[in-house]
Amino acid sequence: MQDHSHENNIDKFPVAMAYVPWQRFDNMYDDLEKAYCTGTIFPELNKPFTGRRCV
Amino acid sequence: MWSYEKRLEFPVNIKEPNAKLAQVIISQYGGPDGEMGASMRYLSQRYSMPYREVAGLLTDIGTEELAHLEMVAAIVHQLTRNLSMEEIEKSGFAPYYVDHTVGVWPQSAGGFPFSAAQFQVTGDPITDLTEDLAAEQKARTTYDNILRLIKEPDVCEPIKFLRMREVVHFQRFGEALRITQDRLDAKNFYAFNPAFDRCESCD
Amino acid sequence: MGNQEQLFRDIGIVDFVLTDLTLYLDTHPMDRNAMEYFNHYNRIKHQMEKEFSMKYFPLNTSLAESSKEWRWGMAPLPWEGECG
Repeated sequence: MQDHSHENNIDKFPVAMAYVPWQRFDNMYDDLEKAYCTGTIFPELNKPFTGRRCV
Repeated sequence: MWSYEKRLEFPVNIKEPNAKLAQVIISQYGGPDGEMGASMRYLSQRYSMPYREVAGLLTDIGTEELAHLEMVAAIVHQLTRNLSMEEIEKSGFAPYYVDHTVGVWPQSAGGFPFSAAQFQVTGDPITDLTEDLAAEQKARTTYDNILRLIKEPDVCEPIKFLRMREVVHFQRFGEALRITQDRLDAKNFYAFNPAFDRCESCD
Repeated sequence: MGNQEQLFRDIGIVDFVLTDLTLYLDTHPMDRNAMEYFNHYNRIKHQMEKEFSMKYFPLNTSLAESSKEWRWGMAPLPWEGECG
C-alpha cells in the first residue's frame, strides 16, 4: 500500500474540508476560435474527455 | 432581472434528425443532473449566501446555465425536427411523441419529469457549495456518457463545449469555497452557520 | 461563410471570452491583467453588436429601435439553426 502520510503543502490545510487550488491566470489562448471550440479561454483548464485510457 | 440575446452561447446546427439521440440528450434538459436543475440550484441558493462575491458568482453561473438549457433544447429540437412517423416508431420515440409530439419538455432520459427534488438549497454556504462542486461533476459525467454514444460532429461539438463548461464551473465553485473558508475559523469550520447564526454580542 | 455569418460568429466568440473572464473575475476581483482583457473585449463586443444590429437584425431589445416594422419581432430565433 502506498503511504499517503508524507507532508505536502496541501496537507498543512485543516482536515475535514475540501480544497480546490486557486487558478493563477497568466495567458489566455491567442486563438480565440480555438478557445471557443474548446469551451474555455484558459489553457490550464482544458481537460477534454478522451473516452479511452492511456491516451 | 434578465435580458435576452437572440443567439446561442455556442452554435447548434444539426443536419440529420435522430430521435434516439434526442431521447438521451433530453436528460441534460430536465434530468437529475441537467441544466434546468443546475440553473435553479444556483439561482435559488444565492439568496442565503452571505458573501456578496460568492452570491454574484452563483448568479453568473446560474445565468450561464440558462444559456446551456437553451443550447440543449436547441439540440433536442433540431434532432426531432422533420421526423417521419416511421422514424418515430422505429427509434422508440413513440412514448414521448404521444404526450409531447416533438415539443421539448423537461424530463430525464428515463422519462421522469423534472423535479426540484433533484437539487438542494440548505441555506448553509459550505454545504451548498459542496453540493455545487458535486453537481458540476455529475453533469460532466453525464456529458462523458453522452459523448460515448455520439459520432456526429454537429452534435458532438456543442456537447463537448457544454462538458468543458462544467470543468470551468467546478474550478470557480472551488474558489468560492476557498473564499468562504477564509471568512470562517479554520480551527472549526463547522462551529456555526454564517448564513443563520448570530454573534451573541450583536443581539 | 458570408459577412453576416462571420460577424455573428465573431460576436459569439468575443462574448464567450467575456463570459469566461467574468467568472474568473468573480473569484479574482483584484486581477488587473484579467480586467484589462475584459475591458478590451467588452468594447469590441459592443461595437460588433451595434454593427450587426444595424446591418442585419437586433440581437437584443436595446438595439431594436425600429420605424417601419418591428425589427426585434422579425429576427430569427436562435434554436432554428442554419439547417432549419
